[in-house]
Amino acid sequence: MLQYLVILLDDTSVAYCHTDNPIVEERIMPLSTLRKAIFWGMCENLMIHFVYPNYSLPKEYQDVIDTVDNVKIGKDIEVYNEIPKKINSSSIVLRLSINEFISSIAELEVVLQQAKRINICYTDIEHFDDNRIDDYSKALSSLNNIIIRLYEQNIQPQINILSDRIIHNEKMHNCDAGISNVTVAPNGKFYLCPSFYYDEIMHIDNELNYQNPSFDRSVGSLESGLDMPNRHLLMLNSAPLCRECDAYHCNRCIWLNQKLTLDCNTPGHQQCVLSHIERNASRDLVTKLKSLGYNIDCCIDDLPYLDPFEQFIKF
Amino acid sequence: MEKIANIPHGWQEGTSKDITFIVTKDCQLACKYCYLVGKNTREKMSFETAKVAIDYILDQEKDPLFNQESVIWEFIGGEPFLEIDLIDKICDYIKLEMYSRNHHWFNSYRLSFSTNGLNYSSEKVQNFIKKNYTHLSIGITIDGTKTKHDLNRIYKTSGQGSYEDVIKSIPLWLQQFPEAGTKVTISSSDIPYIKESVLHLFDLGIHHISINCVFENVWKQNDDVVFEKQLIDLADAIIDKGYYEYTTCSFFNETIGKPLDCVANNENWCGAGKMLAIDANGYFYPCTRFAQYSLRNKKAWILGNVHDGIDRNKLRPFLTLDRCTQSSQECINCEVASGCAWCQGENYDAAKTHTIFERSISICKMHKAQVRANNYYWNKLFHKLETKYSKHEQI
Repeated sequence: MLQYLVILLDDTSVAYCHTDNPIVEERIMPLSTLRKAIFWGMCENLMIHFVYPNYSLPKEYQDVIDTVDNVKIGKDIEVYNEIPKKINSSSIVLRLSINEFISSIAELEVVLQQAKRINICYTDIEHFDDNRIDDYSKALSSLNNIIIRLYEQNIQPQINILSDRIIHNEKMHNCDAGISNVTVAPNGKFYLCPSFYYDEIMHIDNELNYQNPSFDRSVGSLESGLDMPNRHLLMLNSAPLCRECDAYHCNRCIWLNQKLTLDCNTPGHQQCVLSHIERNASRDLVTKLKSLGYNIDCCIDDLPYLDPFEQFIKF
Repeated sequence: MEKIANIPHGWQEGTSKDITFIVTKDCQLACKYCYLVGKNTREKMSFETAKVAIDYILDQEKDPLFNQESVIWEFIGGEPFLEIDLIDKICDYIKLEMYSRNHHWFNSYRLSFSTNGLNYSSEKVQNFIKKNYTHLSIGITIDGTKTKHDLNRIYKTSGQGSYEDVIKSIPLWLQQFPEAGTKVTISSSDIPYIKESVLHLFDLGIHHISINCVFENVWKQNDDVVFEKQLIDLADAIIDKGYYEYTTCSFFNETIGKPLDCVANNENWCGAGKMLAIDANGYFYPCTRFAQYSLRNKKAWILGNVHDGIDRNKLRPFLTLDRCTQSSQECINCEVASGCAWCQGENYDAAKTHTIFERSISICKMHKAQVRANNYYWNKLFHKLETKYSKHEQI
């Protein structure tokens, strides 16, 4: 069920997830389109997330935006592409390469002291190599030690890659693009998420018609309504690997799935391995916190694999 | 009690790796129902490409993707025997490499061919057969009577039917491979000729006929009605004339037409992804139906190439795919689901999105017609045998 609508206010709106926004030319969403998008979201009973560009919007845009309850990504939720010294909001998105994360654990402690919640988005998951498994595990272990120190100071920060697995102990909590949320771009068309819009703008073939190639990645428009063929395939139950998995915090990024495995409902090896390393680190964190007397209602089993595909397949 | 012939199992079925070389995309014929929409005379495999592919594959002996007990090295086209010199050279290299590496497949391999039969009797093909006889599986495609065969299987240059030329090779083929079967394809136009065609093939001495309706959306209104009538008439003929004792036709199978469970019977239908196909450009595919020359709409699903190997991420959808996840609720609830086949490549090509998880249901009404005729066949056959047997007992 759709729950929120993402509105990209400009072609250069900040990237807040895995994918970089490759568009450099500013193109603001026409005011009339913005009004239609807000109206559509209100009629569908959706919480609206506006994604801001790095420049100040004209006043009339701000007036229209404030006609509805909303979340402002790039404003209320700050997005950083490197670890900041100081932050202004309690919830931030930190977009890093995995190497940057591994080499910057100590710097994260300063941010964790300031933020209630940090969402870490890796920008290079597709390049993660099994040779870095130990390095990533050790980095998460170090981060666990920082979190425990903060707990002892009565600070209980949320960091998606470690605490979300604990919070969502009963069921999957994935990105759910196309299921719980959909994106409207400045052109007035719907996309499963901003990454699909970037692909269209960057003229990456949608591979649906070999004879007459098309870059179109839209799933309807504000004029014609949503049109998502095979929407059921985006759901957890249509993903044989994921529906048996308990790495509940995994983004299960359908854009990355499509890129790595060519099918939206099948995660690539890199995504599974990273999520399981994080799952195992969450397990260690739970064990340590419980041993310190914290009452945490979460039980994470030991698993003999990092990629469920290895267990799933009987050749 | 009289015997009922069994549909023969494939060689090492379920325990072999199927590796397909698309040696050429050329063919003398232009069969009207052929799914190979991109056949051409340009893309012929070089020996060097085949050699690099073989080296890569044999290097992976310990890998779960390649450690099956046995291997079937399959050669297809287009028409594979157009490239018999290349095939001979490739097969020599395969044998030499399997032997020199002490590869476990050296003791358990087949060289498999599906041919239109036009070059079968040529000296080069016959020499190849003599050289590799104990390891060969060769199927010649003949569609039935001259009328039915020539309706679809025509020469690409003249447009004339190929029956008279194919039939010349059948006696030699059956002499060399008496248990060989043929594969018959049914499209909309040739439904009225099914009965006479199957009986004709039986009478030619081809005892095992694998026959199926094309998976593409070609079916017209009432095709299922005519189809069912043909199969009922065929059932009568097979039973009344006693063909069932020594022949099989895959339209009639006791396991067809039962409901299926999403836990106990959730296997994918085909082996796409478990098999591997290689084309002239050195690209790997989950099966030949994912190569560009097989696809009307979608882009080829390339798994990798002979130089860089297989990108395993692109195999994951195939190896996790199951029956129910790709089926609609109507198919899941279907009371006659067993035996309803699908082609993963056609599913992909016909899907609304870029996925292999959307099952095409173009053959639904044809399957249901087949199930009704199949039920009739077994009821009639068992009644005949029981009646005969009980009379015999009373005497």
